[in-house]
Amino acid sequence: MAPKPKDKPKPSPSPSQPPPPIEDLFTSLNKHIQRSEYKQAVKVADQVLGIAPGDEDAIRCKVVALIKGDSIEDALTTIQSARNLPTDFSFFKAYCLYRQNKLDEALDSLKSKERSTPTMLLESQILYRQGKMDACADIYQKLQKSNVESLEINAVASLVAGGRASEVQGTLD
Amino acid sequence: FPPTFEAVPRNPIVLDLAYNCVEFPSLESRMKKDKKGFISRLWR
Repeated sequence: MAPKPKDKPKPSPSPSQPPPPIEDLFTSLNKHIQRSEYKQAVKVADQVLGIAPGDEDAIRCKVVALIKGDSIEDALTTIQSARNLPTDFSFFKAYCLYRQNKLDEALDSLKSKERSTPTMLLESQILYRQGKMDACADIYQKLQKSNVESLEINAVASLVAGGRASEVQGTLD
Repeated sequence: FPPTFEAVPRNPIVLDLAYNCVEFPSLESRMKKDKKGFISRLWR
């Protein structure tokens, strides 16, 4: 006779319980991301990586969470540790280097990438810090049709800082 | 005295627009499959 389920209480979880299923970890990771809880997100990503080292989604989440949580140095370390993976982290790496004001290295990291809106935005910000206002303004000119929100703020800045304030009105029209 | 107000130039504002391009990957396919399954299991 099968025992009634009631009579068979579940054993309490032992200290050496198996790790939670990876789907559960990703669900929790997603929750932390939605709530902008970046420190917890890093912890959960690390849990995933403890079970599945080299999981690309987990590493990517960890890198982004570290960047969003302002742990730029840790993000670079994580990117460095993931260099054997097929994931391309060169944009994130370039962004981290930009944040550390290592502008030449940042540009180097962008070189390997195909030009896209994100790489062009970052490149123009690097050029701005390098004082290369004409090159910077050129990129904003090219991005004008890309619908990037607040792009005109940076475009105007590059013109004004480059001594081309007279062109601002024309750009905004 | 007092001195008259006058306009002074200031550095233009630059926003970190590249920050918005640092995005999380979609985890949709990595999470537990649909909650709908749980509800329908109750009514099976």
